[in-house]
Amino acid sequence: MSSAISVRHLTKDFRIGIRGLKLRAVDDLSLEIPRGQVYGLLGPNGCGKSTTLKIVLGLVSATAGEISILGHPSATSAARRRTGFLPEAPYFHKFLTGRELVRYCAQLSGVAADSVGAAVEDALGLAAMTEAADRPIGTYSKGMLQRIGFAQAVVHDPELVILDEPTAGVDPVGSAAIGRMIHTMRDKGKTIVLCSHLLGQVEQVCDRVAIMDRGKLVLEGAVDDVLARRDRHVMTVEAMTPAARDAAEAALAAHGAKVTSVTHPRRSLEDLFRELVTGSRDA
Amino acid sequence: MPNMKASLQRTLWISRVTFLEAVRQRFFAFLLVLSAAMVLSSVSFRVFDFGHGELKFIADFGFGGMFFFGSVLAVVMTAQLFFSEMDNKTALTLLAKPLSRTEFLLGKFCGAWAVLGVFVIVLASLLGLVLWAREAELIALAEQSGKIPATFSAAGLAEFVLLQWLRLGVVTAIVLAISALARTFLFAVVVGSLAVVAGQLQWIAQDAVLKPSDSLLYEGFLWVSCRLIPNLQQFNIGDALVLGSAGVAPGAVAEVALSGLLYVTAYLCVGSLVFRRREI
Repeated sequence: MSSAISVRHLTKDFRIGIRGLKLRAVDDLSLEIPRGQVYGLLGPNGCGKSTTLKIVLGLVSATAGEISILGHPSATSAARRRTGFLPEAPYFHKFLTGRELVRYCAQLSGVAADSVGAAVEDALGLAAMTEAADRPIGTYSKGMLQRIGFAQAVVHDPELVILDEPTAGVDPVGSAAIGRMIHTMRDKGKTIVLCSHLLGQVEQVCDRVAIMDRGKLVLEGAVDDVLARRDRHVMTVEAMTPAARDAAEAALAAHGAKVTSVTHPRRSLEDLFRELVTGSRDA
Repeated sequence: MPNMKASLQRTLWISRVTFLEAVRQRFFAFLLVLSAAMVLSSVSFRVFDFGHGELKFIADFGFGGMFFFGSVLAVVMTAQLFFSEMDNKTALTLLAKPLSRTEFLLGKFCGAWAVLGVFVIVLASLLGLVLWAREAELIALAEQSGKIPATFSAAGLAEFVLLQWLRLGVVTAIVLAISALARTFLFAVVVGSLAVVAGQLQWIAQDAVLKPSDSLLYEGFLWVSCRLIPNLQQFNIGDALVLGSAGVAPGAVAEVALSGLLYVTAYLCVGSLVFRRREI
């Protein structure tokens, strides 16, 4: 079976200014994104992540290289029919209601007329936007905009969902909700490509990651493989006294092991925040 | 055929949302109210008729409003509808779907043209109402004095509305082609406005083509200008159609309409080709 996205030797140059100075945004990038996984594309601002996604979607032309989506050449209608896209900081027509927007996108995506109603309700339900669906989009908060953006991206049940900074500007509760939506999509066997620089979230939801810098790929692999340090171990011990610690260190030393640091485990500020404000949704 | 049907449906959805967006703009409402006020106030200004017939003065007032405000609306609104999609990046969301750029541009055109249709019909209805009311008064006065009363043709007004709508369609197609190339809203509006002025003056180039010249370059320039720039004056035959001030040759309206449709098609094709290469 072909990859969800296959990028081979992709290069993109932008011409800037009257003299047409060349700015290389993506430099000989090659990627194979497997199907059915959550794939994180990481990197600092301006590293070429969004440009790469735009090229994949056919919104920007490549200077060189080959790209295919689900076995189809990129930028073809057949490829886009099976792809959903949530752009960074999405903006939608403010006068439409959430339900009208999702219906509009379903129709543009080729959902059959007799299935549109059910597809819209499914997408709104997945994005937890059913209650607010009849409000004009102009009244939505940032988090709700992202969620309705997610709904429009998945309304046609795509095999591949591309999310560009889906949690940018969203509070931790909304961010966690988007994380849950991503997991739900993965459980349905969809491929999700997540472009973000919020590393904590990417670590939680992604199966594989690629890190880009200055248009080049600097690292690619499964999250566990990339992050694990096989020469180090962590033990969490309850009720440890100084005497117990000395004894443990002596026992480990007898086997040639050395304790390099002993600290108290701490939860993340995000976990604490979510624990304290559980249930407060931005509806 | 199913592909064609799906393509038409997608174009229809884009044009529907474009129409809704346009009619919600204050700019549209402002120009519509201003133009309507101009048409309705024409009765009050008829004392300044410069010796022309009253109905002609009222009709000219209405035609002027339709031409001027219609052109402003066609240029500014069309450019605004296009650039709002680009600048707000809603185009990113839409064009990432199985929607071709030609369908997108065609949808924008149909939506904007439909709004202009509403604009022209509202103004023409008001103008027809004013002309009908004044015509009734003039007929009564003429019967008392034994003169032949001035009349207007409602069917001619309907034909004129169709031609004005086509003229605005040509302007809309030109502005969309310019917008597909332009990087900024201001550039599209300025160049679009210049195109309207050039279209109004195109007859000068047509006249010059008929005169012999020694310069092949000059003749070539005129020949190209005459074909690239549509003659927008050819749509302004309101006097002849509505008031019967001059005879209209049989088939003349159809000829002008066909010319307008050809220009609309040509400029939409150019716009589509340019837009396909644009990086969003």
